[in-house]
Amino acid sequence: MAGTASRDNAARQPGAPWLTLKTREMLEAWLFVSPTFIGFLIFFLGPLVAIFYYSMTEWNLLSQQATFVGLRNFENALLENPDFWHVVRNSVIFALGLVPLNIALALSLALALSRPFFGVVFFRTVFFAPVVTSAIAWAIVWKFMLQGEGGAVNQMLAWIGIDGPNWLREPNWAMAAVIVTRVIKMVGLNMILYIAALQSIPRDYEEAATLEGASRWQVFRMITWPLLAPTTLVIMVLTTIGSFKVFDHIYQMTGGGPENGTLVLAFYIYQQGFKFFNVGYAAALALIMFAIVMALTLVQVMLRRRDME
Amino acid sequence: MKTALKFALSALALFALSAQSLAQELRVTVWTGSEAHLKMLNSIAAGFIAKHPGVTVKFETVPVADYTQKLTFQVAGGNAPDIAWMMEDAAPAFENAGLLMDIGPTLKATQGYDFDDFTQPAMALWQKDGKVLGVPFSTSPFLIYYNKDMFDKAGLEDPNQLAAKGEWTMQKFQEVAKKLTEANPGKWGFEFKDGEGYASRMTHALLPPVRAYGGDLWANGQCGLDKPEAVAAIKQLHDMVFKDKSIVPPGEQGDYFSGNSAMTVNQISRASKMPEAGFKWGIAPLPSGPAGEAPVIGQAALTVFASGKNTELAAQLVAEMTSKENVAVMAQFFPPARKSVLESDAFVNSNKLIPPAQMKNVAAAIVNGRVHPSHEHVPQIFAAMAPRVDALWRADANVEEALKGVCAAIQPLL
Repeated sequence: MAGTASRDNAARQPGAPWLTLKTREMLEAWLFVSPTFIGFLIFFLGPLVAIFYYSMTEWNLLSQQATFVGLRNFENALLENPDFWHVVRNSVIFALGLVPLNIALALSLALALSRPFFGVVFFRTVFFAPVVTSAIAWAIVWKFMLQGEGGAVNQMLAWIGIDGPNWLREPNWAMAAVIVTRVIKMVGLNMILYIAALQSIPRDYEEAATLEGASRWQVFRMITWPLLAPTTLVIMVLTTIGSFKVFDHIYQMTGGGPENGTLVLAFYIYQQGFKFFNVGYAAALALIMFAIVMALTLVQVMLRRRDME
Repeated sequence: MKTALKFALSALALFALSAQSLAQELRVTVWTGSEAHLKMLNSIAAGFIAKHPGVTVKFETVPVADYTQKLTFQVAGGNAPDIAWMMEDAAPAFENAGLLMDIGPTLKATQGYDFDDFTQPAMALWQKDGKVLGVPFSTSPFLIYYNKDMFDKAGLEDPNQLAAKGEWTMQKFQEVAKKLTEANPGKWGFEFKDGEGYASRMTHALLPPVRAYGGDLWANGQCGLDKPEAVAAIKQLHDMVFKDKSIVPPGEQGDYFSGNSAMTVNQISRASKMPEAGFKWGIAPLPSGPAGEAPVIGQAALTVFASGKNTELAAQLVAEMTSKENVAVMAQFFPPARKSVLESDAFVNSNKLIPPAQMKNVAAAIVNGRVHPSHEHVPQIFAAMAPRVDALWRADANVEEALKGVCAAIQPLL
């Protein structure tokens, strides 16, 4: 008993004798994280909680009147407003087009660029450069290149005798164009993740399999691909979330048009909240988007877990 | 020593108090960032400050593309400006939300203001139930800008020459545009306003011809775009885009100001872009149609926010900025809505870039023009319209059916 007390006494600091060393360290730690934590509370957690409340109000920004309407906004989106399902459909099409294309391309590039050869750094840089380019600049350049008559893409197609469509003015082509330009922009990031994963696979496995007489395809199918599974999962989750959140590309290239053909969820939320000032409805939509992305992520994680077992 | 300290402290307190009561800042949001515009506005404000010692006036530029949006956020955040420039299409929403102050009493009490000098059509949007909720400072008609060099190359009479003979009609407009396209390969006869006729300026593209044919976008809560007049006008435009290929089509860039189109529609504020264009140019009235001449005007007004701290002072500043003298000063950039200024030689000679004969076109269009239809739900109406209008601008579209689709989409909002 006396021994404990004296140890405690020994741990007290001369500057603040009433604090034990442990408390003191904890306080210091709290003080160090507090600037970030306070910012997190105010700018992240606060709005996140507020959005739950806003989603249950009808709030007109101009007249400053917020009326509590319960789940009315959710009912409106899910049951009454045909636009909502059209928009969700567009988002799903966007994700279904973007995610497989992105992963296939990223993996192919990674396989080609994971081994050292002369100029490999150059090629890696070339494919990664778009990732760090401003999204808006990227979209503007593509908007010009995809013009119906004077656009670079159609001029090149004309050389090989193809009469290209007016890419951004026809609903189906516009969606395809937005997906492909987005993939080219973002594929470098996934490529790097795959390269890192490929380089961490011990060469012995591959060599052993080759010695056993496995073909290159068999090596890839039976060894490389399964060992990449954790990376593929991360990439799938991140890319899917990213594809549901796509906004800048749509905003700049098509504005949701033509004929609402590229009106995706994130852009629709922006339109409702910042163009029409239906703040409550936009908040409800944002929560629905959150739920969709959450559900998709869980499904992917579960599927992967089953796969690995 | 003690006494000196006491004295100093009380002097300081007195100074702080008086500074607070004197330093009244009026904040005015505008969407111009032009140095010339701001210089003129500040010099007008200086005249006001001279009469009201201790008052300061601050012009705050908000980029035009997000102007109404940012203004709305300022209001929502409890930080409304004292005075704001207000676009015509935003006015009804702000008026109906009760945000704007009735400045009629202040204006009418101001000596020499002569409120009745403002033309009736120009004031229509800003008066409601006997209240005056804004004073237009810019009443700017839509005009044809043409590239004289391209007309000469095609051997054609320009729109002003045709107008002088009474031949500047919608039919002639189509004919001329086609010939201009043929004579200038790779270029177009006409570009919609700011190249945005299929997107953010879709109604600005449709409105002039629809009015020339005697129709309107909407009126009295009824969509007008599926009426025979509008259908005929838009069929003509559709033919020009897809059959004659004389209007810059959707998805293409054919900027008039860089010499890629022979004509466009715009307002006189754009004349400031012309000296750099590097070609001979002119401005002419809009072509007339079966319903005669139908000038269209775009408008912006000065409004006072009722939530401000110095509403009376703000109203007085609006009165000062829209006095006869200052409207005449502003006329070099912003076409006036005061009859006395419109009729004066000073206005006709006010713009260094535009010859007096052509400035008369501007004055006539202001007196006869009608503002773009407005509505409290304009953003929603435009968003509902946009996908239907996209469907209209396809080569194989059935114009009449497409326009029925537009009306079906917007009628519930009107």
